[in-house]
Amino acid sequence: MSPHEISPHEDGLPQDPQDMKLMIHALVDGELDAAAALAVERRMAADPELAAEHARLMALRGALANVQRPVVSDDFLARIAAIAEVKGAEEDDVTQPAAVTAGPQQFAQQQQGNVIAMRPRAARWFNSFDWRQMAASIALTAVLASGATQWLTTADNGSDSFAVAVANGHRRSLLAATPVDIVSSDRHTVKPWLDGRIGVSPAAPDMAKDGYALIGGRVEVIGDKPMPALVYRHHEHLITLVAEPRQNEAKSVPVADDLSAGGFLLVHWTDDAFSYWAISDAERPALDDFVARFRAAIIANPAAGSPG
Amino acid sequence: MAGAPDGGTVLSEKILAARFAEVVLPHLGDALSLARWLTGNTADAEDVVQEACLKAHAGIAGFAGGNPRAWLLTIVRNASYTWMAKNRPRSVVAVGDLADLDDVSPPPDSDADSPEAALIAKANSAAVEAAIARLPQAFRETVVLRDINGLSYREIATMLGVPQGTVMSRLARARGLLMTELGGRHEPA
Repeated sequence: MSPHEISPHEDGLPQDPQDMKLMIHALVDGELDAAAALAVERRMAADPELAAEHARLMALRGALANVQRPVVSDDFLARIAAIAEVKGAEEDDVTQPAAVTAGPQQFAQQQQGNVIAMRPRAARWFNSFDWRQMAASIALTAVLASGATQWLTTADNGSDSFAVAVANGHRRSLLAATPVDIVSSDRHTVKPWLDGRIGVSPAAPDMAKDGYALIGGRVEVIGDKPMPALVYRHHEHLITLVAEPRQNEAKSVPVADDLSAGGFLLVHWTDDAFSYWAISDAERPALDDFVARFRAAIIANPAAGSPG
Repeated sequence: MAGAPDGGTVLSEKILAARFAEVVLPHLGDALSLARWLTGNTADAEDVVQEACLKAHAGIAGFAGGNPRAWLLTIVRNASYTWMAKNRPRSVVAVGDLADLDDVSPPPDSDADSPEAALIAKANSAAVEAAIARLPQAFRETVVLRDINGLSYREIATMLGVPQGTVMSRLARARGLLMTELGGRHEPA
């Protein structure tokens, strides 16, 4: 910190040698305009020490340019692309199941093109198949092969893509700073919060005494629909329960249906008001037990499920 | 987020996904570079960048134009330090240390000239990498953001939340240390 006054030196450059050195760095970094660059070059021509600094900097720049950059592997790129792609693809598929209008679908393809432009192999796959045929064949495959992979189910049209979306939401929540948007073990807090956000909330019984503590809620957006999600803790595992308000056409699944997606186990069932998806990395028996207790709790205390 | 999502989110979600592909994916190499230098190794860098990309995806609506690389790298830097605080609590430099570093005046020049420059230019990349790794955190991130990621002084100043003059002096200090180290090796390469 040298106290250098603004002396009327004719080239306007700093007098302090250290500050002048910064100007050499700025020159090398292309941060100077033409006039300043010219002035610095003149100073360098007159001052061998500055010229030596410049030579060292250029040499260092060359050395740094040779430092190996990490390679973006195809696998890693695909993983990152999937963050946006899964969400986008599901929206396309879920929101236009039967009546496909030209506009949105064109947009969807354009959209997929954008995302997949980064993934040559995937692009070939999408271009060479009709997507409806592919979806149909994959749906069949998924039925035959119970251990359907995330990649396959992503391309499917029906509940499997919903399950993948639920799985991705759950995974994101595990990676996020907090898995819930509203922290509370009190359904009287969680339900009004969800009602206020999205106008709908499921029963939210706290089952801490059964080993499933309600820790809060959040909003999941699946397809184009925001829907309530409750989060329970069971030992070290989190269980996300997504409650999709039922549409008339949605098929009824009164008996719990065991699924898996994205490496997580899911249980899916419906009641009069909601289509429920419970997902966790807990063991299957624990998840089934949670579902059984949750269903029993809301039947025993329907008040917990009434709006408001 | 304050506003409740509603029916109008379909289109915007698609636009946001397209924006993610444009803004984030082309700069993954830079993101990995920065994370690699901040965390110290390549395997951790992928974890950090993946986490940063999840945040970038969630916050893509907040990208207000400007340099997408700088925007992504800001998120990567934050994610790196969050990760470091969690996984390597001891190696994170406390903020108090930075002021001390910034006050230290540059080392006196060992008035070497062209032979030193030749040595620096000939340094093999392993030696360069080791020298970068040995820099204090504040200097390392500045020199990586400038010389590896190619950000401008202004972008670095914005990212680090320091004046441009501080960026310039940290950069000069960082490079001074690198040049001393690489130029000081007198064994033939």
